[in-house]
Amino acid sequence: MGDPVILVAKWLEQLLAGWGLSASQVNVVMTFIGVLVLAVFVLLLDIFMVWVERKVVARFQDRFGPNRLGPFGLIQPIADVIKLLIKENITPAGADRVVFNLAPIMALATVIMLWAVIPLSPTVFGSDVNVGVLYVVAIGAISTLGIIMAGWASNNKYALLGAFRAVAQVISYEVPMVISLMVPVILARTMGINSIVQAQSVWYIVMAPIAALIFLLSAIAELGRAPFDLPEGESEIVAGFHIEYTGMKFGMFYAGELLHALTMGGLFASLFLGGWRGPGAEAYPILGIIYFFIKAFFIYWVIAWVKYSLPRVRIDQMLNLNWKVLTPLALSVLIVTALLDKLLAGAPIVVYVLSLLAANLAILLTTSRLLRRYARSGRQRVAQPAPIATPERAVAISPKQNASA
Amino acid sequence: MSEQTVTRTLDLAERFPGAVTPDERPGYEGYLVQPGRLLEVTTALRDELGFDYLSSVTGVDYLPEGKMEVVYHLYQSVGGSALVLKAQIPRDDPRAPSLVPVFPGAELQEREAYDLLGIRFEGHPDLRRILMWEGFEGHPLRKDWREPYYEEDAKPFKSRWPEGHVWRAEDKNPFHKNVSYPAGFNPETWVPEGDAALYAALGKVEQRGASTTMKTDQVIVNLGPQHPSTHGVFRMVVTLDGETVVALKPVMGYLHRNHEKIGERNTYLQNMPFTDRLDYFCSMSNNFGYALAVEKLMGVKPPERCEYIRVIMAELTRIVNHLLAIGFLLNDLGAYFTPLIYAFEERELILDVFEAVSGSRMMCNYFRFGGVARDFPEGVLERVRDLVYERLPRKIDELDLYLTNNDIIRMRAEGVGVLRPEQAIALSAVGPVLRGSGVPYDVRRADPYSIYERFDFDVAVRYHGDVYDRYLIRLDEIRQSLRILQQAVRDIPDGPIQEGKPQYQVRVPAGEAYGRVEGPKGELGYYVISNGKPNPWRYHVRAPSFINLTTLEPMALGNKIADVVIILGSIDIVLGEVDR
Repeated sequence: MGDPVILVAKWLEQLLAGWGLSASQVNVVMTFIGVLVLAVFVLLLDIFMVWVERKVVARFQDRFGPNRLGPFGLIQPIADVIKLLIKENITPAGADRVVFNLAPIMALATVIMLWAVIPLSPTVFGSDVNVGVLYVVAIGAISTLGIIMAGWASNNKYALLGAFRAVAQVISYEVPMVISLMVPVILARTMGINSIVQAQSVWYIVMAPIAALIFLLSAIAELGRAPFDLPEGESEIVAGFHIEYTGMKFGMFYAGELLHALTMGGLFASLFLGGWRGPGAEAYPILGIIYFFIKAFFIYWVIAWVKYSLPRVRIDQMLNLNWKVLTPLALSVLIVTALLDKLLAGAPIVVYVLSLLAANLAILLTTSRLLRRYARSGRQRVAQPAPIATPERAVAISPKQNASA
Repeated sequence: MSEQTVTRTLDLAERFPGAVTPDERPGYEGYLVQPGRLLEVTTALRDELGFDYLSSVTGVDYLPEGKMEVVYHLYQSVGGSALVLKAQIPRDDPRAPSLVPVFPGAELQEREAYDLLGIRFEGHPDLRRILMWEGFEGHPLRKDWREPYYEEDAKPFKSRWPEGHVWRAEDKNPFHKNVSYPAGFNPETWVPEGDAALYAALGKVEQRGASTTMKTDQVIVNLGPQHPSTHGVFRMVVTLDGETVVALKPVMGYLHRNHEKIGERNTYLQNMPFTDRLDYFCSMSNNFGYALAVEKLMGVKPPERCEYIRVIMAELTRIVNHLLAIGFLLNDLGAYFTPLIYAFEERELILDVFEAVSGSRMMCNYFRFGGVARDFPEGVLERVRDLVYERLPRKIDELDLYLTNNDIIRMRAEGVGVLRPEQAIALSAVGPVLRGSGVPYDVRRADPYSIYERFDFDVAVRYHGDVYDRYLIRLDEIRQSLRILQQAVRDIPDGPIQEGKPQYQVRVPAGEAYGRVEGPKGELGYYVISNGKPNPWRYHVRAPSFINLTTLEPMALGNKIADVVIILGSIDIVLGEVDR
């Protein structure tokens, strides 16, 4: 006991059964209600996220952020949503109507779908798919499709450029992401996310810090947030793939992006920070939800911190980083982790954790050595120092000078 | 000025007999050159005598004499004052040889002279209108061209306050009556010619990116006029091969209001607030250049305290401008607004000073001929002292610490948009763009004006010529400005701030003058011709960011679209000045 969510669910089940529904019917209705509650909860959270995002940005940028509407400006996002809803809905001439309108739905829906496998507490999760990690990767690929659809259907060159970039970026960064996801899978010996959380008596960020870092980086890239915000590239291609969207269609992209960031935070928390685990979470599962969201919001904050501090990389640099650094690094971490895991089978947990940590640190050290060696070669000077230009160095011209002076 | 050791003096009339004669008109300087031999003379000047830097090209319409004049201001990149050359051409068939083969930097300026005065430059590679639109009728800077709502040639207009009643000029003179259309033109059915000529100009270079193995298409993308990175309504038409730029043409004039024509209608003093609107971030240094030009004509010199006040204001303006330039460059790099807003904070503090002395934060209108509008109110000097000794040095170091060694910034900016020094000189680049390419040319040292000779400061130079150096040089210049400011607030004497009595209507003797200052964006020059009347006969602005745009195309070709954006940001343009 001690879990109000389960309590409510039990009560509902009994109520439905009392109305004379069969067990399978009850199951269908309960699942439906569960999906509805989860989706609504996530979307409400999303509205709150708008406020969080704006406040966080403001603090990074030496400003106050929204502070007029309600306490601490908390009502502001609701006003934003109302504004977006009553904006004119424009479909550009020459756009592919169906695809154009489907794209924002894809963008938001795929993010919500990710929440199906994220365990909020030991007892509250959408579905404990035993290939949860695979599911996450697959859904991530579909969300790219939304961007491509938007870019293609808008009939706009900026949008198309944005879509080009999105394809190049998301598809490449999926490679190190998948490889780094394999590391917690090896450690937990399962692909179910809830099982991975349960296996983390020691947080995996201790045993696999490099994998965690790579996952975070490729998550930022997949989100399209700075320094990898090339698909939007505000100062270059204006808004990229969503340049032609107005009103709530734009709002869905925006909401999708924010929620995706939090979702990635949640995934990171589940895979590397022990998800809902924390003092007392086993006994009182409701605490797990709180622990989970604290961790998820912390990672979200880190992503925002990076976003508002760093400039954007160029497209070739982005691909270089992926293929020349992150992918080889992820592969070597995967190999080392797998080997150590086999070698240390049966060793005490302390030895196991410490040797994995040591191996990670060694890899990190080697990588930074290698990178430093091949980093930036010196720039070419185009000019040599010359004396400062002064009138004394000039050839004087003899004729009369300005007569009026 | 100290006694100079003149190594060589030269009389051009002797050097080029028959082609060059001294300009004998009272109040004028320089030489008249036979238009036919202009190319020969300028080539010789460039190659033999070191006049390798063509600063300004403009035209003057002498309607009463029935001729036009093309005026060139040449400098030596080792320093010194101007050599003024003039080519007189008949007004009914104004043709002059184009100097683009000798000085590529003349390209945009010759297009401007063609656009506004109708002077045809023969041999110009791309002689199209630049500030007015294609299809515009007439050449507005000609003295017989009259705008709609034309009332009189010179202000103040008599009609404005007849017996205390306010007239609106447009009521008095309705739009249709004075607009003349070309034969066969119907405004109702007219369709603008559009960009056919522009795209044709792009097409000349289009072939170079052709791929042999795979059939690919190049895309023409219009960056602007509505685009976040163009800092206003500027437009770059680029041909893209994937993300690589293979051709680029700048298009401007969206903010054109014919500043110079209005300036010729205004009285001399009325132009002072009008110069504020050129580069609206740096109204103080705009005032400075114009005041210098008119003071040269009038032969007055401001008093000592005023000179110090002017220097303080001009250097504070430089700090404001460079802070913004760095902030916006970071914006273009994708660090969305965070560095910019920190830069804005310091700028606001300086604008507080401007507000205290002039009553306005941006449109200061502070300089007068032979003085400034008013003295420092109480406490302002202390505030400036506090800023330049305490706060700004600390904050600039902070900016430096957080930005300069950021890996992404270095990755993005190093080696991008390289401009070689000889290219920079040939293209008439000025200011940080020129000095970032390793040419140590700063008007404050090369051709000193006001009291800059007294101050101890270094000319900031960097030698790689890329975007990163243009960023660094702005930081260097802020530091040097702080040095000048620290000396200025230490040494500023008491005394009057205005030579003679403040006047609403100044008497300006006939003649010409070119006043130039090292504005934050580069050499800002004003070419003023007076015929003794209350209004200038010609008022020309040599706008640094307009002419710096000549360097955009050579720097951008072959780079990615993201680089073009930061290259433009590193030139630091302001459209109020580009379009005038």
